Amino acid sequence: MSSTVLQLDRISKTFQLGGGRELTAVDRVSFEVEENAICVLLGPSGCGKSTVLRMIAGLETPTGGEITLGRHPVTGPGRDRGMVFQAYTSFDWLTVRRNVEFGMKINGVPAGERRERAEHFIRLVGLSKFLDAYPSQLSGGMRQRVAIARTLANGPELLLMDEPFGALDAETRWQMQELMADVAEQAKTGMVIVTHDIEEAIFLADKIVFLSAHPGRVKEEIVPAFKAGGRIRPKEELVQTPGYAELERKIMRLMREEGQHE
Amino acid sequence: MRPSHARKSRFLEVRRSIPRRQAILSAIGIWIVFFGIWLIATEGGWVNELLVPSPLKVFQTTWNLFVDRGFIGDIGISVGRVVIAFAMAAALSVPLGVMMGSFPAIEAIFAPFVSAWRYLPAPSFIPILLMWFGTGEAPKLALLFLGVVFFLITLVMDHTKNVRMELIETALTLGANRSVTVMHVILPAVLPDIVTAMRQMLAVTWTYLVIAEIVASTTGIGAMMMRARRFLKTDEILSGIIVIGALGLLFDLLFKAAHRWLFPYLKESRG
Ligand SMILES: Nc1ncnc2c1ncn2[C@@H]1O[C@H](COP(=O)(O)OP(=O)(O)OP(=O)(O)O)[C@@H](O)[C@H]1O
Ligand SMILES: [Mg+2]
Repeated sequence: MSSTVLQLDRISKTFQLGGGRELTAVDRVSFEVEENAICVLLGPSGCGKSTVLRMIAGLETPTGGEITLGRHPVTGPGRDRGMVFQAYTSFDWLTVRRNVEFGMKINGVPAGERRERAEHFIRLVGLSKFLDAYPSQLSGGMRQRVAIARTLANGPELLLMDEPFGALDAETRWQMQELMADVAEQAKTGMVIVTHDIEEAIFLADKIVFLSAHPGRVKEEIVPAFKAGGRIRPKEELVQTPGYAELERKIMRLMREEGQHE
Repeated sequence: MRPSHARKSRFLEVRRSIPRRQAILSAIGIWIVFFGIWLIATEGGWVNELLVPSPLKVFQTTWNLFVDRGFIGDIGISVGRVVIAFAMAAALSVPLGVMMGSFPAIEAIFAPFVSAWRYLPAPSFIPILLMWFGTGEAPKLALLFLGVVFFLITLVMDHTKNVRMELIETALTLGANRSVTVMHVILPAVLPDIVTAMRQMLAVTWTYLVIAEIVASTTGIGAMMMRARRFLKTDEILSGIIVIGALGLLFDLLFKAAHRWLFPYLKESRG
């Protein structure tokens, strides 16, 4: 039995622009994320995906509706919701190891356990050789993996990622997708991932929430039923599974419809 | 047509870095030209020897000042004033600037005050400082302090505001509270820029030092130069100028070295 970790109940966000003008970026968005499940947010540019994610993280306050994590309403940022940003966020003054230990350190995890967990997650993202390197010595993709390891090592209940693999090369991107699938299955971590990549969305998602633009609303919730609740690996097999091509076409059609409104 | 890789190198290349050897030779060359012209002008009798002594005489005088006249004592006093006043200014500016750059509520309180003071030239306070503090060290230190503190606060604040929001938000989503965010993310992120700002403002402190010592002091490099003026000793005045320049350069190099030593991770940056 899977239970709900995150619930969005008619969330809205209206930004106050200068000169008394307003912009409703997100309009009464509702969806749920189950334990161990990956929820992918898809939609045209500017439809409010990042805003939704930031509200879940507590970095932005909704102007309407309620977000509940477990049994508690979200009122601000906290370690129970880890976030990986699209821009690089490595702490340049700390080595890879210390970057990954940062969250655990400020939360009072004892040194021994900290070290062990950090090494485990650094190995998981394939950076064991760079434990004591500084971020400035790493490539962009490697820095992003440091950020992912740092977030995972902190043990969040929910992992939020805003186009985390956008800047990675195809090979690394593919590895990271596999990694996220592993993490979702092993750890009891729910995930909300924003992406533009349809293949990535179908591979990772237990549920795809498709948003329409201006204002951002849930246009459709898609459960890739052909995956039968699991993840089909390797990816080349996924794309040949009956049902994949159909779903891909459907999402492309949704994208095109929304794009034309602009 | 010759193949493009055979393109001959030219002296002037737009934004193309030059070899280290060429850089050093260029730097030495310009100084040789400068002293050469100075030497020719004085030896050739083109200028009044009394107003412009020859560079050889100036170096000789500098030597004598150090060896026979205890010039090192004056230098010690001047350096002490700069270091003490600058340390006081930094001790106030760095915490205040970081707080102002981190918390808009604190910026709203101090920014209007600080920017108003920034537009008041510090030397305009000399008469009142002399009346308040008399003729001891206090008015000199106060002038140096006033001369740099408001600029330093503003620089530190601006650099702090430039710390990327994503870094702060990352800390918050990892569970950092306000003090952890400021002390363990914002401060280390901005520290290299703070040290650079301090390096720039230290040069300004030297400017105010000379003003303070020329106007109201009997000790220090500036006072020595004013004494020399009374006895028409242009060589001693020029010695003072050279020593101040050399000290400024030395402090700049010290700060640069400290920057490299404190922030080794910056050096390794790719690109
Ligand atoms: N702080 C803000 N102030 C004002 N308007 C904002 C702010 N943040 C976002 N918006 C607006 O809200 C809308 C949604 O933005 P958001 O960044 O959430 O879109 P997105 O779906 O993530 O787009 P993309 O796919 O391009 O990243 C946009 O029209 C944007 O201009
Ligand atoms: Mg976005």
